Parts: sequence; structure tokens; C-alpha cells
Amino acid sequence: MISKVISGNEAVALGVKLSRVKVIAIYPITPQTYIIEELAAMRDKGELDAEVIRVESEHSAMAAVYGAASAGVRVYTATASQGLLYMHEMIWWVAGSRIPIVMTVGTRAVGAPWNIWNEHTDFMSERDSGWLMAFASTPQEALDLTIQAFKISEDERVFLPMMVGMDGFILSHTKTRVYIPSQEEVDSFLPSRKQPYVLDPEDPVDIGNMFQPIDYMKLRHSMHLAILNSKEVIREIGKEYEKKVVPVGSYSSLNESYKLDDAEYAIVSMGAWSLDAMQVVDELRNMGVKIGLYRIRYIRPWDEEDIKRKLGDKDGILVFDRSVSFGRGGHLYLELKATLPDVNIKGIVTGLGGVAIGKDVISSLTRKFIEGKTSDEWFYPSEVEKVELRNPRYIK
Amino acid sequence: MSLGIRDILNKPRLLPGTSACPGCPENIALKSISMALGENAVFIVVAGCSSIIQGMGPKSTYNYPVLNIAFAAGPAAAAGMAKAFKMRNKDIKPVVWAGDGGTADIGFASLSGAAERNDNILYICVDNEAYMNTGGHRSGSTPFGARTASTPGGKKENKKDLPLIMMAHHIPYVATASVGYLHDLMEKVKKARSIEGFTYIQVLTPDPYGWMFDPSKTAEVGKLAVQTCYWPLIEYENGKLTISQESMHCLDKRTRKPIEEFLKIQGRYKGVSQEVVKGLEEYIEKMWERIKSIYEGKVIL
Repeated sequence: MISKVISGNEAVALGVKLSRVKVIAIYPITPQTYIIEELAAMRDKGELDAEVIRVESEHSAMAAVYGAASAGVRVYTATASQGLLYMHEMIWWVAGSRIPIVMTVGTRAVGAPWNIWNEHTDFMSERDSGWLMAFASTPQEALDLTIQAFKISEDERVFLPMMVGMDGFILSHTKTRVYIPSQEEVDSFLPSRKQPYVLDPEDPVDIGNMFQPIDYMKLRHSMHLAILNSKEVIREIGKEYEKKVVPVGSYSSLNESYKLDDAEYAIVSMGAWSLDAMQVVDELRNMGVKIGLYRIRYIRPWDEEDIKRKLGDKDGILVFDRSVSFGRGGHLYLELKATLPDVNIKGIVTGLGGVAIGKDVISSLTRKFIEGKTSDEWFYPSEVEKVELRNPRYIK
Repeated sequence: MSLGIRDILNKPRLLPGTSACPGCPENIALKSISMALGENAVFIVVAGCSSIIQGMGPKSTYNYPVLNIAFAAGPAAAAGMAKAFKMRNKDIKPVVWAGDGGTADIGFASLSGAAERNDNILYICVDNEAYMNTGGHRSGSTPFGARTASTPGGKKENKKDLPLIMMAHHIPYVATASVGYLHDLMEKVKKARSIEGFTYIQVLTPDPYGWMFDPSKTAEVGKLAVQTCYWPLIEYENGKLTISQESMHCLDKRTRKPIEEFLKIQGRYKGVSQEVVKGLEEYIEKMWERIKSIYEGKVIL
């Protein structure tokens, strides 16, 4: 194990290389582009024993890794924003085929209007597809979760694809110190690929042909059960990772708790700004407020039991969402409310399209919430009052 | 080239009892092509009749591995698969099986991308000239004047010239075939299998239901398409175009069978005006001028 100051993108590329991936489909889209550039460069220099396919679209990127994975090799691709939405159809196809695949999503707003900055709505829009979905909060975690994702996805209790999200630019382009495991360490953790269906002439199987409704529903149910089963698998594999690969992280639980045990209030968040939220917790604790943080690392599976255990007794919970289901609210808020219907939970949608939300904003919103002052469900700096649509015209 | 038909007939790749309609040309083509390919074949079937012909999963009438996939994704999936087999040191050239809609329309970007990269796959377009599995709607490959469910008054545009477009991708092998001439089809498949890189075969598969003819006449319609020179049988290899024996007579306008013979056997052209017939004749004439100029080396692709 060595440590280096690298970006989230570089960390992920190294994680992919260390996982001995055999086929990689690459298509450029900001802000994940650097991952695939790195992988292409590694391949060029002979450091990576993998075939790289330069596809013509994200739809094809997912199709290409799906084809390669069906033929029995470990595969990888990365995308973001419009690209993720463009591959939406294939994302579902992969999950329904129960084929293990790993992908990184460098989260970014979705147009229109064009916006290259960070938000989580692209990622959240895939939460019903049958993929496992983890979200990193540091470049270190992005690397660690990528390596773990291969093992989780290829576990026979799971056999579902897995995507790892990472805040666009905030993590993808920011350099921090990252502990990089050695190849031997990763090899000791990650065995060669295992998958339920392999296309080989000696054992002709069909994947994806027409199913009777009852068989189709059975398969859908099996995906649901696999997502539920994956909780135990993730904890198991996380512990093993801590022991064999990088002992700096904590992966024995799906989500992370910070100063929650005696807390009366809690902040819930996901991704990079959770670290700002941790500082806010410290700051408010110094002021005598008993508050903690619950950081969501896994959207799917959703660790309902742990959330109930850790947050069920709180006086108030404030959920920060960087994504929105229009007319309803943030996705995490909706999930939390469904898990804890009787707890005082408030959700704030903020930081969309790259709106900068720092420690001070999180702190003031949290204080307002604790003081019981009503605040809007949306927060953004007020220099722009509203986006005005033009006067409507009648068209002859 | 010797086909060794007797040998391959003993090993059926398409099992009896498929869900195909009577007289289905895709069934005929699939049977012949999979036998010509032999043992080491893996198919990628994009959305279409062939997704249904194999029957309800988890059982299948296809006696080879099949990856069924969404409409626009066939060539990309095959490209990934080809790389995977390469990494596993397996001599398998994945075969994409797609209809004309999947090829000319929704899957065209993926097809063009795989051709440009010269991925080691065999792409077979079964051209029944409409979205037959969905109910017979026009595609980019539907010919001028043909009535379809979405062009009840007849299509206003000509057929997209896919073989020529594929030749312009400078891939190692492009061919056309018809289910009216199975020996020719199988020879071409065997050749495409032996060539490294992206190979493309477009098979005319007249559809009894969409084209509205008696299901016993599939092969006959497939033959008439070639004899009237509506459907050329050609091969394009390493930049050189050759005309298959069955189509040689088309080089001379006088030896072509009149197009009416091809039209009158099908319901989709029933009672069309002379204008439509003329339009099709013009299309055929121009197509053969193009083929001739490439054949004679006057136009280099």
C-alpha cells in the first residue's frame, strides 16, 4: 500500500486496473472523462491487460460491456448525466439479465438547460433499475467502493450490476491523499470472475428471450430478494476489504454514523458535502446541541433496519438532498420519510446544478431547523429571484 | 467452395417447433446460416421476430447460445463479446441478427460505429422491408410504393441503400443474399466467418404476412426479387465488387425479368398505379448503374 495525492477520477481508474478488468468501453462525458483517459493511457503503456473499446455512444458503452460480460469477462465503464440517461435502456437490460457489471457515475446535472456541474438527480433516476448503488464521499472511498463493487456484484447471493456515484468535479477533479493498495492485496481480496450465465457454444444458453408473465414476475421478485440479500454481502465484503486491502476506511456497515448515539437531532446526507456536515455537527456540539450525522452510502440496498435503529428515536431529522423528484421533494427525504413515518423529518433540496453549498449554509439551515423556524423546502442563494418564462404566444 | 451440406444437415441448429409463422423467411435463413456457421457460433438477436421465434424462455428452439438484446444495441454488444472471446482465447466470431428496422433505423449508429472500428463480428440484416414483428410498419428499408400499416397509401421514398452504405465503411466484406438462393447465402456466410474484421450480409427475407402472399411462396418471391433485379446479389471484398451468378443477367437491362412479375405476386403492391411501377423501374435502373460503375472500377469506394 502506498499513498498519493490524486483526484477521484484517478483513484477510480487505479481501482479498475487493480481489479483486473478485461474489457472496458469508453465514451467521453464530463466529468468522468479523465477516468477513461487514464485507462486508455494505462492500456497504451501496457500497464493494463484489457481490451478498450472506443464506442460511439453511451447506449453502446453499456451494450458493449454487457456483451463482454455475458461472454464471461470482468468489465467496466463510466458515465455521467446525459450519458447515464442515454444508456438508461441498457442499464435495465443488464440488471434484468442478472449480469454482474461495475460502472462509475460522476454525478452531474441533466439538461435542459446545459449545466456541467454537480447534482445527484442523474444518479437517483436509476434507483429503480435493479442495480446496486453506492455513493462515495471521498476519492479514497471511490477507489475502495469500486474494488468492492466487483466482488459484491459477482457474489452469487447478488448477481446484479453495481454503480458507484461520485460528486462531479467536487470529487472527480479534487486531489486528496489516497491510499492505493498493492496488486497483491487486491488479488488476495478479489477472486476471478463468477457469473450465472456465460455464453459459450459448448453450453448453449439463451439470455433475455421472451418470458411468460409469471416467470417474468418471478425474475423481478428474485431481483428484489437479491437487493435485500446484498446488505449482508456488503457488510461481509466490507469487513474483508478492511482486513485485506485498505485498513483506513470503515466498511463494516452500509451507511456511516457520526456522533449519533446520544444525539437528539440528526442531519442526513450523501456524498462529498457530508464531510462539511460533519464539521457542522462538531460546531453545533461545541455550542451544546446534541446532534449527529447519518451518511447514506448505499441507496440500493436501502438499509431500513439500520436507519430505524439509528434514527428512530430522534427529535428531529434534517435531510439534505442534491436531487429532486419534482412536485414531491428530495429523493433521500422521500426514502427517509417512508422509513420513519412518525419521526419529525424535514427535507431541503439544495445544491442543484452546482450551486455551492458549504459548511456555513448547512450550519445555518440546521440551526434554523432546530430552532423550529420554518424554512422553505428549497434553498438557494437569493441573488436570482426567479427564472421568468416569456409571455405566452398563441400560435396560428 | 464445397458446402458439405450433407454433414451440416445432420446437426440442426434450429430445433423443430419454433414460434415462427408458416412460410417464415427468417426461419429459413436462420436455419441455413446457423448450419453454415457450424459449431463455434454465438448469436446476438436484437428486438424483432427472431426474439419471438425462439419461443418462451427459459426454453429455446435455437440450438446455440443467444444473447437477446434491445433494439439499438446489437453491434456494440457483439463488439464487446468479440473482445471478451479474444481475451479468453476463443475462436468465436459473434453474429448479430437484426431486422431492417434495427439496421437501417434505430441501430444504425451502433452498426456504423462497429463497422468503423472494424470489430470482429458478422452482422446479418434480415431484410423483410418493414417492422413486421410490430405489425408491418414502414422502415428505412421499405421500398417505394409499398403499402405498410403506417403507409397505407404507399411509401413515398426509396429504400435506403444499406449494402452500399456499408461498403463505404471500407469493411473487409459486404454481401447481399436472398432466401430464394440458399446455397449462395450459405457460401457467403462461410466466407464472412473466415474473414477477420467486420463483415456484413443483408438477406432479403420476403414476409408472407407483411408482403401479403401465400406462405408457400416465400422462396419463389425471394427468387423473383433476384430475377427481376429488384434485389441484387453481390459481394464486396477488399474493395472489389463481384456480382453473384444469379444476378449477372441484371447488368443488361434487356435480360431482366419485368418488375411486374415481382409486384403482382404480393398484396402490398396490389392495384398500384403505373407511376409506382415506373418509380420502381427507375430505382432498379439507377441501382444497377451504381453497382455496374463500382463493378467496372469506374467508381472506387
